[in-house]
Amino acid sequence: MAEIVLAYCASHAPMMSSARTAASQEQRDHFFGALEHVKQECVARDVQACVFLSNEHFTNFFLENFPQICIGLGEKNWGPTEEWLPIDKTWIPGHPGLANHIAEATLRSGFDPAFSHQLELDHGIMTVYYELDNDMRLPLVPIVQNCAVAPLMPVRRCYEFGKAVGEAIRSYRGLERVAIIGAGGLSHFIGNPRVGDIDEEFDEWFLDHLVRGDLDDVLDIPDSELELAGNGSHEIRSWVAVAGAMAPTNATRLAYEAVLPWITGMAVAEWDPNR
Amino acid sequence: MSVYQLNRCVYDWVRAGEVNSHAGTDGRIGFDDSGYELTDDERKAFQARDVASLYQLGLHEVLLNRFCRAAGFARDEYRALLAPLGVKEERRGRWQR
Repeated sequence: MAEIVLAYCASHAPMMSSARTAASQEQRDHFFGALEHVKQECVARDVQACVFLSNEHFTNFFLENFPQICIGLGEKNWGPTEEWLPIDKTWIPGHPGLANHIAEATLRSGFDPAFSHQLELDHGIMTVYYELDNDMRLPLVPIVQNCAVAPLMPVRRCYEFGKAVGEAIRSYRGLERVAIIGAGGLSHFIGNPRVGDIDEEFDEWFLDHLVRGDLDDVLDIPDSELELAGNGSHEIRSWVAVAGAMAPTNATRLAYEAVLPWITGMAVAEWDPNR
Repeated sequence: MSVYQLNRCVYDWVRAGEVNSHAGTDGRIGFDDSGYELTDDERKAFQARDVASLYQLGLHEVLLNRFCRAAGFARDEYRALLAPLGVKEERRGRWQR
């Protein structure tokens, strides 16, 4: 059976790649230092494949058909989508065996994920994945979540879905060492008059709940309230899914920086799989 | 006509520049919006790259963000265009002391 040997979440502002030096040296040291830490753990633990939860930005889906969850089953996926993102465009290897197993297992658990045999991976996954593996050869199972177009899957349901994904990974016989990674958030505002604002109070509140493992207040939050911390704050759905996969283990905060030039509360947290 | 058509038009324009961009092609060049059932105001805003009007006409915010990036607006530029349209928020989140 596979084990989850690495679990972490990170913010994925595209400017972390496209305007890297716009952040202060101190902020970059903290944020990228945390990503380097998990990268070294990935190497040390000899991770064979990673499952990536992130959100859809009108890259693969549009208003005709917008799934709440879509699992990438293909042998490969293309990324990054954005023509301006300074990461080499390439085919990213998938892992159809693990991906199909997750799809089948979550279907049996009462979820109804969509599936795709070829996805485009935008900055949502590619920024964080690139920091994990500069060669972009680590097999990646993408799980795309709707964090943008109402009605959204409730936050608590995302947590439960994450639990089902964690159980699915742990019941897969085709690999031994798998990473689960969430990419998105924390607070940010895009495409509206508050673009550029960061709600540090929200970010601290959210991280504190993750670290204490006291998530009820987070999981019960309605979208209308969550949106007060920015329309991008819906992306915490990827974080709570990873929290669900790793429950009852609590998160450890590795970094948090409110990076104004990247218009996003940039955080990294990990879950110790041995705890 | 509906705001769907405006969203569809902008989405297709954004995607036209992304698909096959690695091969050096830019599908946004010569993009034809005549097939979209837009109001005069919508068409005018799209053709003029009028960010404030697109926001007011109901373009989805995630799509507006992508549009601004693709159209070459720096973040500070489009923030300046949108900021005057903000409405003071009276509600408070549970995280606010």
